[in-house]
Amino acid sequence: MLTRADLAKYPFLNEATDYVKDLGLSIEDIRPEEYGPVLDRAEKRLEEALSKGRITTNIADENTEILSFPVSNLILSLTGEDRAKRRYALAEAKRAYELLKQESPDKLELIASSAFQWKLRRANIQLGRRLYDFSIGLTDYLRNAIHLKEPRWKLSNRVLDHGFVLATRDETARLLEEEVRSKIIDRTSRSTASVNIPTFLGPTIEHVRNLTVKYLGTPVHYELPRVPVPEAMPPCVRNLISLLDSGKNVQHMGRFTLASFLVNIGAEQEEIVRVFKPASDFSERMTRYQVEHIAGQRGGRTKYTCPMCTTLKTHGVCYKPDEVCATIRNPLSYYKSQARTFTRGKKAAN
Amino acid sequence: MNPSDEIVKRKFQEYYASPTRKLHKPPKMEQREYGFLMFKEKFMVRHRGFKTAESLLTAARDLAPKHVYYSTAYYQQPTASMEEKGWLGADLVFDIDADHLETPCKTEHDTWKCKACNSTGKGTTPKLCPKCKNDRLDSETWLCEKCLNQAKEETFKLLGILYADFGVNPDHIGIFFSGHRGYHVHVYSEGLRFLGDEERREIADYVLGQQLDFQLQGLAETKTRGVTVIEGPQLGEPGWRGRIVAGVYDLLQENEKSGLTDSLKAWDNKRVLEGGSFWSSAKGVGLSTWKDLAVKAVEKGSARIDSVVTTDIHRLIRLPGTLNGNTGLLAMQVSERGLEDFDPFTDSIAFEGKMRIHVKEAPSLRIKDSVMGPFNNETVEIAEAAALILLCKHRAEPIGLMKS
Repeated sequence: MLTRADLAKYPFLNEATDYVKDLGLSIEDIRPEEYGPVLDRAEKRLEEALSKGRITTNIADENTEILSFPVSNLILSLTGEDRAKRRYALAEAKRAYELLKQESPDKLELIASSAFQWKLRRANIQLGRRLYDFSIGLTDYLRNAIHLKEPRWKLSNRVLDHGFVLATRDETARLLEEEVRSKIIDRTSRSTASVNIPTFLGPTIEHVRNLTVKYLGTPVHYELPRVPVPEAMPPCVRNLISLLDSGKNVQHMGRFTLASFLVNIGAEQEEIVRVFKPASDFSERMTRYQVEHIAGQRGGRTKYTCPMCTTLKTHGVCYKPDEVCATIRNPLSYYKSQARTFTRGKKAAN
Repeated sequence: MNPSDEIVKRKFQEYYASPTRKLHKPPKMEQREYGFLMFKEKFMVRHRGFKTAESLLTAARDLAPKHVYYSTAYYQQPTASMEEKGWLGADLVFDIDADHLETPCKTEHDTWKCKACNSTGKGTTPKLCPKCKNDRLDSETWLCEKCLNQAKEETFKLLGILYADFGVNPDHIGIFFSGHRGYHVHVYSEGLRFLGDEERREIADYVLGQQLDFQLQGLAETKTRGVTVIEGPQLGEPGWRGRIVAGVYDLLQENEKSGLTDSLKAWDNKRVLEGGSFWSSAKGVGLSTWKDLAVKAVEKGSARIDSVVTTDIHRLIRLPGTLNGNTGLLAMQVSERGLEDFDPFTDSIAFEGKMRIHVKEAPSLRIKDSVMGPFNNETVEIAEAAALILLCKHRAEPIGLMKS
């Protein structure tokens, strides 16, 4: 059974939501006069997350801790900033991990299987020097482990036995952290249209908005430069251009990547057609047709985006990835981050 | 349409028009998308939907397509455009094709030709032409018994991994001969239906043993009181751990011990069988030697699937019960018990008559018990199934084409 102390540690659990419901409280009831500490803690949660990326794990009062969580979520949904939501979800998840890794196997099992409906079994298997406390159902494992990039999370490097992945206690806690993160992102992205926002919450919402600006800066709606900046293009795209330039042939996937990349960074159609001109089998009519298709001006009217890096790796289009590549998952993100660097000088001069 | 295509198309049409014909009905067939690749127009007729096997058969008969495909994915509206289909999950599929296998016989029967400089070569088509570095190469592959047997071996290995490691229920698996150079394995388990492409990539990499780190699988050197000890997985352990040991064990058991160091040649399995540690059963063998063997063990133990097919959650794949336009053979389901004895050249024959054709050049081939060829610029009357293979592979031309 989960105790009230557990719910204070893990206020994102459905059981905690039920607990609040059973108290018969709704957001209108959390007035500053009676529930000052709850509002304070809710604000504090957000402030800690935004400023340090961490939320303290010590619990002063269980009820305050449990009640403050949904309030934080609501405030965040109302301020409506995706960056803030992601940062907050990560901080809450890290807080949960700190607490989860100290739990007994029984408690971990309860949280994983009852709150998150994981297929989880007690394993207690010793292989080599490692003791595996748990085995986790394959899909529960994969859903969370794909976000973790270290080699030890790769399925090829795990022990997989009849649909279950062996995991130590700490690893299980780490995978739960990912589950918590996704859950909170979901929660803070829920529609708030049906919620009546009490007026006393106004100053808190305003304060959190200011905090977001203070710690994360003003949201920059960065616009890509009008003219493509070749220096900002990723190695794969540059390679494709130079292959075409030297009259070498580029296969379908490479051509699609190049065309969709250029369309998406806003290159002029004439310019894109010119890039393909050196190809040995160049046909202006075909190229124009295909570029228009990718740009969504023909056929299904879909504007195609550039394929993901993983796809490009599979098709052998990925070429000499550099340090920037390690931080992105799509060639367009490479360009976005680099174009900013390369054009900053010019902007400052304006 | 060229005369070969014309006659193949007519044979296909006859096949689908036969009154006893039945098509394979994939699970939830009404939620799937169907596609046809035609003989004449070189594009795909896709985004089609069918509720019954009968209506699908009618379409096959009317269109007489070269290839028939269906989606591994389930959709709310299979006939809508891609972004409006409403994805409802997809079967987990594996494709094993001789194109991805390194069989020694390939140099005997597969050739390639560079479209740019006309150089030619034998064996697997290289990525780039070795002469002019162009990447547009035509390949001519052959339907070879050895390659098909190797593909069957890989299929068995894949099934072994799916059962032991992934715990897949055998009742949720369909095994299919593709009608050309390989096999498809479909997993219908509901629990795996909603996996995304990244999750499926992990599964494909696992089956291929890709990016496998031996240290993370337990193989490591440790020093205790100045003595170096090699620790590693043990026989019988689950997953890749056990498979690595078993593979290395087999390598050491094999009679062919060339390339092994002296201490490994002298290896005696007694100590292991008596429960001793595997990795200390050969004196003076270091970690790097064991790792080299482990690499080979992973190569042998993995199943050579085409990971592009497994990771694509919107894939169109050949519909069993239809004819493969590369061969005229039937793509068909094979039971797991029947797989060992399954003979594509007997069991997936769709045509029984005889046909006169002119063969340019082709290796020998077998239909049921009769072997014919090799052929070299000759006119022959042979089993229709063989004639269709040769026509489909552009190794022959029809003679006395009937007027349609």
